[in-house]
Amino acid sequence: MKKILALLLTLAMVFALCACGQTAAPAASEAPAEESAEAPAGDEITLDVIICQYGPNTQEWFLGSGMDGTNFVDKFEAANPGVKLNLEVVSWNDVYTVVDTRIASGQAPDILNIDVFANYANEGLLEPVSQYCPEELYNDFFPSFIEQSVIDGTVWAVPDLASARALYYNVDMFEEVGIEPPATWAELEDAAQAIVDFYDGEVYPWGIDMTTDEGQAAFAYYTWGNGGGFVDAEGNWALNSAENVEAIEYAIGLVNKGYTNPNPATQTRYDLQDMFAAGKLAMCIAPNSMPTYCADKGSTVNMATTAIPANEGKTSSSVGVMDRIMAFKDEAAPDQAARDEAIGKFLTFFYDPENYVGWVSMEGFLPAVNSAVEALVAADPSFEAWLDVLSSCQFYPTAKGEWDAVKQGTIAAEQAALTGASVQEQLDALQAQIAG
Amino acid sequence: MNRTLEKKIEPYIWLLPSLILMAVFVVFPILIVFKLSFSEVSKSGLVGGFIGFKNFADAISLPAFKTVMLNTLYWVVSVVGLSTILGFVIAMVLNQKFRGRKIARAIVVFPWATSLVIQASVWNYIIKYEYGNLNNILLNLGIIKQAVNWRMSYQLEFIWECGVGIFVTIPFVTFCVLSGLQAIDNSLYEAAEIDGASFWNRLWHITIPLVKPSLTVSTVLNIIYVFNSFPIIYTMTKGAPSNKTDTLVTYLYMLNFYDRQKGPATALSVIGFLVLCLCAGIYMLGVMRKEDNG
Repeated sequence: MKKILALLLTLAMVFALCACGQTAAPAASEAPAEESAEAPAGDEITLDVIICQYGPNTQEWFLGSGMDGTNFVDKFEAANPGVKLNLEVVSWNDVYTVVDTRIASGQAPDILNIDVFANYANEGLLEPVSQYCPEELYNDFFPSFIEQSVIDGTVWAVPDLASARALYYNVDMFEEVGIEPPATWAELEDAAQAIVDFYDGEVYPWGIDMTTDEGQAAFAYYTWGNGGGFVDAEGNWALNSAENVEAIEYAIGLVNKGYTNPNPATQTRYDLQDMFAAGKLAMCIAPNSMPTYCADKGSTVNMATTAIPANEGKTSSSVGVMDRIMAFKDEAAPDQAARDEAIGKFLTFFYDPENYVGWVSMEGFLPAVNSAVEALVAADPSFEAWLDVLSSCQFYPTAKGEWDAVKQGTIAAEQAALTGASVQEQLDALQAQIAG
Repeated sequence: MNRTLEKKIEPYIWLLPSLILMAVFVVFPILIVFKLSFSEVSKSGLVGGFIGFKNFADAISLPAFKTVMLNTLYWVVSVVGLSTILGFVIAMVLNQKFRGRKIARAIVVFPWATSLVIQASVWNYIIKYEYGNLNNILLNLGIIKQAVNWRMSYQLEFIWECGVGIFVTIPFVTFCVLSGLQAIDNSLYEAAEIDGASFWNRLWHITIPLVKPSLTVSTVLNIIYVFNSFPIIYTMTKGAPSNKTDTLVTYLYMLNFYDRQKGPATALSVIGFLVLCLCAGIYMLGVMRKEDNG
């Protein structure tokens, strides 16, 4: 008896501790019957909104007092009687967990701000943009941005903001060493060697981030700079193209020659930006918010930007990163038309230049609508140059359903290559896994 | 009411509140995970129909599966094993009478009382190559001439992770053993000393047999706890490079929320649960058999 009791207690203990440890499995109910957007009193509609935290000001702007003493929610509700917002600001680290868990438990938000959308669209969870977005607003978006959210001819999300990447370099260091910013891969290696020689290894010439945070960006920087990329001209996955293999081998070569930060698999872009700000790194590919980022860290590094180096004879292209706003279906909503209208009101209010310009410039991003450009350029003339970059940059193929797997797969391939695996074999295996 | 019946029922009434809590917050979610592991789960987390053992087959055929299982084994054995040995030694020392013993005991608790995420982040800073404390101290003391990259390879990174795991687990073992040591009657040692028993003799024949129950408790709890430990590895490497420093728990998290392979991730968590039940079960049975015999 004692034995059985003890065994039972052990099992109970295992149960209890397992429950503490296993955060991964979403507790789910089967039918995703979203229950938001009900009309509790009269014609009032409450929209559940999830916004990602772009920086320290996001929360303040939406919910605190960061919008000239008031906040977005209060201002919106005052301007739109009958629509209430139940708005949550969620960190980028948690947002996938939060959204997946909410979908699984049938409580998807009405409006979601996130980067990916293809899975939600493919699984029939999203409403097409045409259902709720007023035409005037729709025509205001940069067409090249809207194209990024199209699957089978339907637009499933609208862009909320964008950022573009460029190469930042430490001007003082380059002058001290007596070199010019590199435009080609060969020049990059020469510059790196000169920096290594001059500073006796105290300064890393080049920053590489192949972490699970953003290793896919490294894949884009090098493959796009070699005429390759995630997809071919027809838009089919072409992960193991000769150009890609050459590009990733080149990147791994930079690491092996000692031209980069020592641990690319665990040093994120933020680590690199910190090193750049501290004068420990000479070159770093970063978004347009880099000067703000360094200034916030108290850095006085004298920096300038140039195009990301490309292979000899190939064109350099910037990497554009775009996030989105999308609306989930809610079949339980009593009045679908009223709900769509409320979502439209939210978007109209958000993209109103009076509100939107403050939002975009606050965290140092680039706008997604034409109407904001004038005001932004007036406030900060340096925006103009970035808008040019933005118009010529390439985006990740996020409209393809396999993107999640491709993203993780490219990172895994890079990391395996860092430990000595063959790039060709890694990319062949990835291509086979993705394209079947 | 019948007096004996009342006596029989009474314990269960006392247990009822905790049983209800466990059923709602522990047993029920675990049953759902079991159900999910046999269901089709979409990338966004929508649950479809029954698909038999497909999730398990997918999980086992994942390229990283073998590495991750081996890592988990290394992780559990090294962390639990070494922290038990070191914790035992520290407990022996702390059981001696010396000045400042109370302070020493308090200090030992610190690693345990700090959150694991903070511990792991602090260690990340300590071993950082560029501006880590360890390199700074060694450079200032003149022990090394050039900064050392303490995370040169993934093997080294995994060893650091195990090291941090051991560091934070030692206090728990120490205090379990210490409580056992304090329960040992001093007259036993005195008698042994009179009979001319050496330190090792006393250790083998008195100390270890008598603290064994405490060691059993700490070992079983540690196996479960270390197996399920998530923060250290997630904070220090996130399993990079390419899952070479992942253990089962961090891997299934990444699989679920980064790779969005939710079905196999659920299957892995069920596999982990069964492995743990098996380990803990075998260990407990073995120990209890010995205790019954002895």
